[in-house]
Amino acid sequence: MTTQIIVILAVMIAAYVAAKAAKASVELSIFAAAVAGGLSGAFIEAPPLGELGRHLVEGSFTYIDVILVFFTATLFMTIVNDSGGVDYVVRATLRGLGRTRILALLALMIIVLVPGALTGAGSVSLLVVGAPVALALGRLGVPQKRAAAILFIVAGLSAAAPPVNIWAMILCAGTAIPYVGFEFTLGIPVLLLGTFTVLALGWKNAAGAGPAADLPEPVPGMTWWRVLAPFLVFFGLVAAYRIWPFATPIFGLSLEFALAAVVALVLSPKKIAFLKLASDTVRRLLPLLATMVAVGMLQQIMTATGVRGLVSFAAISTPLVLLFLLFPLVIPFSEGVLTYGAAAILGIPLIWFLDSIGYHATVVMAGLSLLWPLGDGLPPTALIGRLSVMVSGYDGSYKDFLKATWLPWLVITAVAMAMIVFSSKLAFLVKWSM
Amino acid sequence: MEMRTGGVKRGVADKAVLAALFLALALWGGLPLRRHRHHDIPIVKGPGVTRVFRLSEYSPGLKGTTADTFVFELRGREPGGKALLIANTHSNEPEGMLSAIIFLENAVVEKGTLYIIPVFNNSGSRATRPGDGYPLYFDIATDWGARRFRFGNRDASPLDQWPDPDVYIHYPDRQLLSYIDVRNTNRTWPGRADGPLMERVTFGAMELMRREGIDVAIDIHGAETMFPVTNCIVAPESSVRIATMVAMTVKAMEGFENHVEPSPAGFRGLSHREIGDHGPSLPFLLEAPIPFLDQPTGPKTVEFLLDGKDPFLLSLSAKGKLFVPYDESGWPIEKRVGQHMSVCLEIFRQFSRKSADRPIAVSGVPRYADVAENGVGRYLADPSKAAPGDIVMN
Repeated sequence: MTTQIIVILAVMIAAYVAAKAAKASVELSIFAAAVAGGLSGAFIEAPPLGELGRHLVEGSFTYIDVILVFFTATLFMTIVNDSGGVDYVVRATLRGLGRTRILALLALMIIVLVPGALTGAGSVSLLVVGAPVALALGRLGVPQKRAAAILFIVAGLSAAAPPVNIWAMILCAGTAIPYVGFEFTLGIPVLLLGTFTVLALGWKNAAGAGPAADLPEPVPGMTWWRVLAPFLVFFGLVAAYRIWPFATPIFGLSLEFALAAVVALVLSPKKIAFLKLASDTVRRLLPLLATMVAVGMLQQIMTATGVRGLVSFAAISTPLVLLFLLFPLVIPFSEGVLTYGAAAILGIPLIWFLDSIGYHATVVMAGLSLLWPLGDGLPPTALIGRLSVMVSGYDGSYKDFLKATWLPWLVITAVAMAMIVFSSKLAFLVKWSM
Repeated sequence: MEMRTGGVKRGVADKAVLAALFLALALWGGLPLRRHRHHDIPIVKGPGVTRVFRLSEYSPGLKGTTADTFVFELRGREPGGKALLIANTHSNEPEGMLSAIIFLENAVVEKGTLYIIPVFNNSGSRATRPGDGYPLYFDIATDWGARRFRFGNRDASPLDQWPDPDVYIHYPDRQLLSYIDVRNTNRTWPGRADGPLMERVTFGAMELMRREGIDVAIDIHGAETMFPVTNCIVAPESSVRIATMVAMTVKAMEGFENHVEPSPAGFRGLSHREIGDHGPSLPFLLEAPIPFLDQPTGPKTVEFLLDGKDPFLLSLSAKGKLFVPYDESGWPIEKRVGQHMSVCLEIFRQFSRKSADRPIAVSGVPRYADVAENGVGRYLADPSKAAPGDIVMN
């Protein structure tokens, strides 16, 4: 049976590579791999050919909740951006803190962290605040290549930051471990690593901040209250359930973001064409959403054919030291190929295994979810890396941009690996979070 | 201009073809899922069944929902103690449901009363687990043909309970649990009358136990071979003496291991913890190893679900990475169901020894050796031969 499963895996890889060679998008390539895997699996009735359609359709729903959160959160942040809220905050940050470089850099880091932390997607951070923050970094004298590097690393950290960490959510859902205890376990390393990144890459060019005249003009009528009120509504809804759990209806993150979006829309000082904005948001997110759908299909086929079991078996059978040595390479690379699907396909069996031999699952998940975002700069997807380059206006080679990230990349890897290897000793972070 | 019109036409045609392909895939894949959700399984009322009712009798908030499940009452010839069997709390652990069905299709209660809920999470039994490639059904071979059962999911269907919160806060202890556990009927105990749907399910069972004065409650499960809490009886302080006696007896008399695991007081929402803390019953949670649920396995086929044989697990067993003994014979469904049957019967016996004024005596059901030798199918009734009034479509 093992040989047959290896053959199915080879067919899936070949289909993916062939689709990529034919210039198909990542999501279509993943879909091709899933279909090819299902068809080759049919030779051993795993799954039977007649059930292939059902497996593909069922698999496409694997991440439906994540997709909804992703869409509503992005819609919310896009409305905040279109209403002039982001420009207002960036401008105010430079006005207020521009002369204190360190504070300005830290404030810009927080601005990039917030949208990704709320949505679990670094791409949302870049799409919404990337361009004005890149502009602000430019005003602080940070060259474009390094600005792109800062955006890439901090956007990746924002995706890992609590409260929404999609890798951890996928891992928790797949391992029946509560998605709790991540606030400090992820929050502290993310803030420390973010601070290190902006200072390491942004500190040198002490040319001093110029006037904020180059930044987009603030939308007339925009105020702090108008910017903050939608966030207060969102956090208020989240907090209400935590404070009065048995008296508050369950809204779910998607509806909470949608309600916050409505408030942002109502409070916007300028008229926003909502339908157009919503349809633009869907169009912009389509590759990401389609990737999530296709990864769900792939995951379903991999499980039905035994390929996922084979990957899991290989991970569990690898000597622990070798496994740890491979993590810094394999984890980011898996993200580069499968994006969030890597957490399900590789992460779930790893967590099962490490948990069963005494490692603290929550801390290990936190450590792994610091490594996965690094892979968002690697081909074939390189989603966050490409977006960082795009919004920062850097027009040099992609390789040079990646090279510029080497120092924070190494530090993040070291911290993540320390968290995984010493997870039991760091369990106090989970306790603090509870 | 003609070229542009032709290009536009081609574009529209391409989109039409893609839309048709999409629709075809949606129908090909979607219709079996719909059929699975609406597929009822026949359960034959055995000689001991005296009454069948819905759980909504004890939890009105369930009325009219998919979660409202059947409860079978088997009132004994003589008075005595009362026991409740709960199965399919997790509908991807079918050994519990099969054990419960064998009880209610065969058992005659001599003393006391037995209540059986064969499909506790009815919503979950009509759902699938996206991403995990499960089969939709499995067939058990019998002397008269195959009997088909739904294979479901661990959690209730989002079609019945949705959305999930960002984090599930357990009632009444306020412990934070994973968001998905709001649909897991082994995290929502003791439940609320007006809580989320799955809390109403567990509330109904709690009310049944409180109002009927149930002495013993047994929740039947299956667990991965790589999960430390497997092949065991989980019991809180109140039940641990009986559980220990049961474990020792089945090992000595019937030759299989079923150790005792203490119910952790700090992990809330589980039946083995909350039933005893919020009602009069002594709770027991039974786990039999189900290799199908392990991660590092080959294809998730019906054959594997039933025979529990897997080459990867065999290799891992040799490396000492499983929590149960595992060899070429796997962990077949006969062994898993047989263990549950014997452990349930032994719990009744040990309880009756301890509480002589409330005995529970059940006859007519097979024990471990019987099921292991004859197969599960031998003890399943043929619905085609039953009178229409004796069949409950669940």
